[in-house]
Amino acid sequence: MRNRVVITGAGVVSSLGDSSSSLQLSLCSGRRAVKPVELFSTAGLGCPLGGEIPCFDAQKYLGRRNLRPLDRTSRLVASAAQLALNDSGWSGSILNQEEVGLVLGTMFCSVHTISEFDRRALEVGPAYASPMDFSNTVINAAAGQTAIIHNLRGINSTISTGITSGLQAIAYATEVIRSGRARAILAGGADEMCFESFYGFDRAGLLCRSEHSAGDFPIPFDKRRNGFALGEGAALLMLEDAHFARERGAHTLAEITGHGCGYDCSQGEDEESAVNSIALSVRRAINDASAGPHEIDCLSASANGSHAGDRHEAKGVFAGLNGQTRKLPVTAIKSMLGETLGASGPMQAIALLETMRDGVLPGINGLEQVEDDFAFDMISSDNREIDLETALVNSAGFDGHCCSLVLARCNEN
Amino acid sequence: MKHSRVVVTGIGVVTPIGTGREHFWTNLLAGRSGIGPVRSFDTSAYSVHRGAEVHDFEAENYLSNLDAAHLGRASQFAIAAARLALADANVEIASLDLERAGVSMGTTSGEPREVERFDDLFVSKNLERVGPEFLALYPSHVIAAHIARELQFGGINIMIPTACAAGNYAIAHAFDVLRAGRASLMLAGGSDSFSRITYTGFAQLGAIAPEVCQPFDRCRKGMIPGEGAGVLVLEPLSSALKRGARIYAEISGYGLSCDAHHMTAAHPNGEGAVRAMKQALEQSGTAREEVGYISAHGTGTPTNDRLETLAVKRLFGDAAYRVPISSIKSMLGHTMGAASAIEAAACALAVYHDRIPPTINLREPDPECDLDYVPNHAREHTVRVAMNNAYAFGGNNASLILKKCEEPQKGTKSTNKI
Repeated sequence: MRNRVVITGAGVVSSLGDSSSSLQLSLCSGRRAVKPVELFSTAGLGCPLGGEIPCFDAQKYLGRRNLRPLDRTSRLVASAAQLALNDSGWSGSILNQEEVGLVLGTMFCSVHTISEFDRRALEVGPAYASPMDFSNTVINAAAGQTAIIHNLRGINSTISTGITSGLQAIAYATEVIRSGRARAILAGGADEMCFESFYGFDRAGLLCRSEHSAGDFPIPFDKRRNGFALGEGAALLMLEDAHFARERGAHTLAEITGHGCGYDCSQGEDEESAVNSIALSVRRAINDASAGPHEIDCLSASANGSHAGDRHEAKGVFAGLNGQTRKLPVTAIKSMLGETLGASGPMQAIALLETMRDGVLPGINGLEQVEDDFAFDMISSDNREIDLETALVNSAGFDGHCCSLVLARCNEN
Repeated sequence: MKHSRVVVTGIGVVTPIGTGREHFWTNLLAGRSGIGPVRSFDTSAYSVHRGAEVHDFEAENYLSNLDAAHLGRASQFAIAAARLALADANVEIASLDLERAGVSMGTTSGEPREVERFDDLFVSKNLERVGPEFLALYPSHVIAAHIARELQFGGINIMIPTACAAGNYAIAHAFDVLRAGRASLMLAGGSDSFSRITYTGFAQLGAIAPEVCQPFDRCRKGMIPGEGAGVLVLEPLSSALKRGARIYAEISGYGLSCDAHHMTAAHPNGEGAVRAMKQALEQSGTAREEVGYISAHGTGTPTNDRLETLAVKRLFGDAAYRVPISSIKSMLGHTMGAASAIEAAACALAVYHDRIPPTINLREPDPECDLDYVPNHAREHTVRVAMNNAYAFGGNNASLILKKCEEPQKGTKSTNKI
């Protein structure tokens, strides 16, 4: 028998709020974080828009301590970790007794830190490169720094699978707890907004373009969609062995009942292959949860306004749920947050925890005309009241990765 | 549900001392060094000049579907190691259920040369020459993705960039995936290419040795950055037996821990390292006395080798003096995220052949490093159980256990469907 895995807390630092409830409030009031970028100059780039966190200050969450060794990604993760520990009732003294783990999904950790370190060596000579910055050039830097700040001595792992990194990290941690190897793991993801990654996405032609009304883009699943906007943030769930959580008297928010993934070797070039891999991911997740397609009460889609990506997801979910999507309520919160990469899947999961609690599924901001052949009828810009027992969270990248998660409400609480 | 047992049936390596299992193993036992003057970039502005690079590597020899011009160097190494591992395992790709064939890889830097090119163009004010290739080639997860695309693997595809312990993490994850029945075959390992960024950083930490890598020697002066890739074919024991595969070793357990102490320095008591080793032994149901070989992290820095020795003594007690320990980084340099994968390959071969590769350049004993480091010459020794230790920035510790596979083995024969 495998151990059951429950969520006992959540921590989120996002452009639309720094708690599950404030995030949900923003999403349900149709607030949009995607605005002209201020963190760096977008002069000469095709897309000027991004969903950055305004005035992010890690001291608000971590108190007055030396945060100089931490770059933006590490500060986001350490802050979200503090919030998740608070939310799930883990104090410093219990952390000394239990080896709590951290599994972080991130696409870049900080390519800005890496690039800056290298550029300084190029400009003024290698003897002037900073050893302290060097320790942040490894892709597991944010997980390592966060472990030091919160004394997390259990499994410490970093997962990179592009946009799906965060959801894949939750799947990884779920397996670790199921197998009995750990009892409590913070799992989720993060990516920061920075010039270097923004430039890469812009040059790849993946970001949305707007001639006149910047406020209308990106629009997942809409006929008019023409790309996504980048966002940033960190989102972590406290995952615990269900028995352990009950024994320590923790409040359980939901159970992770299944996960699955697939990989499209054509990287979206071949529609059939892309659709099949997403269908496989969905099917694996609901099989793992011992659920049927009819039991899924809603979908939190990965759709971010990407022309091909949203199409593949709509068709992939349709196939994965054996065509039972017409009556499936669907949301796509990247319409408001932008594409937060490693943080995106965990943020979708956190928003759904709120939907389980308050019964409101946020609408897809800006959605007017759903693409004709997407088999979704319960999709609109309006919020929807639902009784959410079992949810499907999807994460699908522009370069072939897909990952799906099934969350179920814990009714015993 | 009973968990599957997981075995190593194929080994593929690209290293500074040779590409391919046979070449690598021969040179490893002969104590050959792959360290020489750095050729990847100009080191005249540095105080150190040596590295362990892979020379004469022809990516085209391993590519059937992808174009080398559209692949970073770490991806090229990784694909070559994956192809070599599959050939070594006698696995025909056409015989695989591709939706259940997965890839789990580790790395320290991903494709650092792509960001270095970005930086060169940024500094020379030619950034407009960076095009869509940056996003396609740079992010670390492309390494595992490129292997899958070259081989058309549609199963689990994951990158675990836990720096210098990443290879062990990736193999450990593949082991879990197979045990849980979520794949029928996994390629697992690590890859890194020689990087200006890494070289600069270690040089600034004062960690690079001027001439040679001499782990555990009293006069050791540091590590030597290197590059390469190691990939293992892992599959359930049942499928290996069914197709009559050669089984090098069984993966029987692993331990992962975090020091939560310092980004670049190990815990002064080796506390996290001890926990990782202990967990690994416990999971694999192995007594300390059964361990016949420890492949050390053994970077050659004064602190690493001293603390690693301390950690082994803390866990093994007096038995520590009876376990042969060696650091193949004395020959290969530190191949970063590939290191523990290549070392896992060496462990599998040590278990299979009952031979232990040496720690070369070990002349003067250090009073603080007083264990049996298999100095300078390979040794014949029965290795029923090998332990592969790796430690990384971020305080990430990983220990992996490989054992002789105690099952009646049929000889190698033609490839069957897995």
